Amino acid sequence: MDFSELENDNTGRCRLNSPVPLVCLKEACVLGVDEAGRGPVLGPMVYAICYCPLSHLADLEALKVADSKTLSESERNRLFAKMEEDRDFVGWALDVLSPNLISTSMLGRVKYNLNSLSHDTATALIQYALDQGVKVSQVFVDTVGMPETYQKRLQQCFPGIKVTVKAKADSLYSVVSAASICAKVARDQAVRNWRFVERLQDFDADYGSGYPNDPKTKAWLKKHVEPVFGFPQFVRFSWRTAMAILEKEAEDVVWEDLTVGDQESAGRITSYFLNEGPRTHLRVPHRYFVERGLESATTL
Amino acid sequence: MESRDETMMEKHRVHLRPITLRDAAPATLHLLPCEVLASRPAPVGRFFTPAIRQGPDGLEVSFRGRSLRGEEVAVPPGLVGYVMVTEEKLIGKQDFLGDSENNYQEEEREPVAAPEPLERDFDRFIGATATFSRFTLWGLETIPGPDAKVRGALTWPSLAAVIHAQVPED
Amino acid sequence: KNLYLFPEYLKDASKKMKHGLMFVKLVNPCSGEGAIYLFDMYLQQLFEVKVFKEKYHSWFINQSVQSGGALHFATPVDPLFLLLHYLMKAGKEGKFQPLDQVVVDDIFPNSILLLKLPELEKSLCHVTEEKVNPEITNKKYYKYSKEKTLKWLEKKVNQTMAALKTNNVNVSARVLSTAFFSSDQVASDKEEDYIRYAHGLISEYIPKELSDDLSKHLQLPELPASWPNPPSKKIKLSDEPVEAKEDYTKFNTKDLKTEKKNNKMTAAQKALAKVDKSGMKSIDTFFGAKIKKKTGKI
Repeated sequence: MDFSELENDNTGRCRLNSPVPLVCLKEACVLGVDEAGRGPVLGPMVYAICYCPLSHLADLEALKVADSKTLSESERNRLFAKMEEDRDFVGWALDVLSPNLISTSMLGRVKYNLNSLSHDTATALIQYALDQGVKVSQVFVDTVGMPETYQKRLQQCFPGIKVTVKAKADSLYSVVSAASICAKVARDQAVRNWRFVERLQDFDADYGSGYPNDPKTKAWLKKHVEPVFGFPQFVRFSWRTAMAILEKEAEDVVWEDLTVGDQESAGRITSYFLNEGPRTHLRVPHRYFVERGLESATTL
Repeated sequence: MESRDETMMEKHRVHLRPITLRDAAPATLHLLPCEVLASRPAPVGRFFTPAIRQGPDGLEVSFRGRSLRGEEVAVPPGLVGYVMVTEEKLIGKQDFLGDSENNYQEEEREPVAAPEPLERDFDRFIGATATFSRFTLWGLETIPGPDAKVRGALTWPSLAAVIHAQVPED
Repeated sequence: KNLYLFPEYLKDASKKMKHGLMFVKLVNPCSGEGAIYLFDMYLQQLFEVKVFKEKYHSWFINQSVQSGGALHFATPVDPLFLLLHYLMKAGKEGKFQPLDQVVVDDIFPNSILLLKLPELEKSLCHVTEEKVNPEITNKKYYKYSKEKTLKWLEKKVNQTMAALKTNNVNVSARVLSTAFFSSDQVASDKEEDYIRYAHGLISEYIPKELSDDLSKHLQLPELPASWPNPPSKKIKLSDEPVEAKEDYTKFNTKDLKTEKKNNKMTAAQKALAKVDKSGMKSIDTFFGAKIKKKTGKI
């Protein structure tokens, strides 16, 4: 997979895709959707679709694709290579969502939660296949959240396609398994070749699995916490694990949309002239100054 | 003790060292849309600056997992910005006067035949450590735009100049 | 660390001086409280210091973070305003007095520095009656003159008004309700708004009682108590003549209704409107324009 675009700028999202097999433009196809890297506190999340004509489904099954979680990394890589060999009937596309995009979405003024982000990404990938001319007739999706509502949403978006959303779809349908392999291979590669935006010093790449419950990951987070900036963008700031560490080990940051009560932090301005006792401001300055946030300086 | 300080304080003078206004090096400034409850060194050049991107609607970066949009703001013409630092130690008078042995021409127009010395033992010193003529103004998720309060504030010196100009004679 | 904006000429002047630039606390002639001023002994000039402060800001200054996001402005101030504070106090005794007896301040002893500003003596004629005692080496004695002061302040108001116009400062006190006035009324109101606004700015530098006298002197009609100050957050600060662009003749009854309706948007509705926009935008950027329709439906 060519990640040069991602390596160039990994602060947003990046789409990769195989060429569309000609047969997929002519024959009715099944399409599977799965994701990798939803849980980790580190690195990108990858959404993938994989599709092939109904007539070639047996050939895909013959590859013995399986749920990527049950496969070793080398097996996944081998299977992905095989799919690349079968590019005359198997196509795929994927979307790499950078940890920065995940953080800023989830922590936005308008919260954009991970489920919605996932649903929208999956929908966009299916639409992408359609836009490329793939004759999709059936879609199988590994569920995120409640399968019923997710299915309803997708079915509404694609009324002409039969949509099946199921838990564990990646072990039930080979197109979903194939998609899960694409996603996992892509995520592994993206993580392995991650170019840190920051210029880190004494950087230690041994962050373990990236899952919040991995002690190695936790230790890495604690080691790399920076008091002002928190973490490198490789970390998902919106994860509870990350937030808990920041709360303890980094400076407090107050945002206008996330304040509880009045945040007048006393004594933070070291002044030479002492503060005049209790402030008895009866006079409101002229609105020219109020509108511009200006007041007379009383301390230096 | 505090009340004694308070009666003292209005006598204080904080001397700004003119020499520091001449040689200050340019500073890079960002005005963030959040309050960091600390004033301390921070690796801005390693964490923040390299992450800034030029997006379709201005500059883009993120801080603490939140998306910021920014734009350059120029200090209005005729003004110059300084980063000032109060000298922590009380620097003795000798130190200060020792400075003036470097034969500058400043005495040619020394207007103050001071009945009292210009600097006293309890006075303090402040100096510019850097200068600036622009800064990057950041908004949370949206560009602050022309209605940003700080942009309004920047128009004050030009109005102040008129308010405080001498009035014409009758 | 503090950030300051100075006039550039102060930097140029600093090349010729060794010392004589100092921050002191002097009386704010409007509030009577202490405020920070900057003396430039070389330029023989006094500067006031205003500070820009807005919640939720911080600075990155090179390789450091500075809490608070404050920005200080040192701008030249007419020292006569400060002197006036003392002259009015002394004027209560109705006597002619030498300046060094007028400017006496136990709380702000640095105020004697005002006497070192030679320009000040020249401008004293604007606010005082003057007597010279030829016997004591031409020593001058001064007495506060309200009449002269009001004339002087009127000139101040006039020059401030002119600047407000050229700078397109939004002076309208009735931003929210201009729609309810005929265009003629708006035009005449505007002039009054400018005078009132300029009067308000000048009043920042004089005691309240003088401000009230000035208001009468300028024949400013009393402001009906029902006019609230427009909420500061909604005010457009951009240098754009707000009213001038509007054509008030276009307001018919229908427009009036919609105007009214818009104004009546609840805080929640406004928040929603705001929210919607930013939400869509971020989603759009994630998915590009193509998919917008589809995602919108979900």
